[in-house]
Amino acid sequence: MQYQSSLSREALTELALHKYFANVDAKNLDAVLDCFHDNAMLTVQTSFVVHDSRDSIRRMFVDFMAAYKTIIHRDFTCTVDEKNGRIAASFVAELEDHDGNVTLLHNTNFWRIREDKFQEVYVYMSGENPLV
Amino acid sequence: MSKPNYEHYIDIVTKRYFDGVDNYNMEQVLDCFHPDAVLTEVTSMTVHKGRDEGIKTMFKGLFEGFNHIWHGNFVHTADIESEAICSQFTVVITPDGGEELRYENCNRFYMRDGKFTEVFVYMSGDNLLR
Repeated sequence: MQYQSSLSREALTELALHKYFANVDAKNLDAVLDCFHDNAMLTVQTSFVVHDSRDSIRRMFVDFMAAYKTIIHRDFTCTVDEKNGRIAASFVAELEDHDGNVTLLHNTNFWRIREDKFQEVYVYMSGENPLV
Repeated sequence: MSKPNYEHYIDIVTKRYFDGVDNYNMEQVLDCFHPDAVLTEVTSMTVHKGRDEGIKTMFKGLFEGFNHIWHGNFVHTADIESEAICSQFTVVITPDGGEELRYENCNRFYMRDGKFTEVFVYMSGDNLLR
């Protein structure tokens, strides 16, 4: 689907890295959900898991944030398509559970923006999916 | 050389690279890469180094092992400024003597002077790019 985005190159990067990932890492659930439209869809493509509303995305993040003591997303490389309201980023996800076990993932996200929020998000993971 | 325009990024991925893969045209496929390019299948961390070495060997194996390959349903995120394009797509592929397989994959292509220097592949199922 092609959406109309109102965001500049800088604003697309700000939305994906700072409004979204920084708040995931800080476990600020409301700020994370504010990045999504009500009917947004988040798909983990490498395991065919689909969360097809903001309520479903909320449930997924509640479980994800509870499952890990620390969540760190780092080493971003962004690819920005301002004209089409799309941004992709590769990054490392460093997840430490409550027993001290650390999982490192080398992932890529794709975001499709309608107006100024996420309409579709696709996640491709290098390992087992923790976003269930 | 000045940076290629937006259309170049879409065209090298669809009309040259994946067209070459789907039509078993090794020369057309390899011509998209720089000699020192690296292709990494991230979901299994398989690394193929060198256009005429690792990457060519990988495609030889792919072409010999499958009798039908199709890439389509593309959605691209193309960035002239960072010389990169990230593409989501469907792959329909049939192993010799096997059942048709369908994947929902993505590739990240990083370029210099209009050709691939690094390619990263994520696959939704078992790695076929061994």
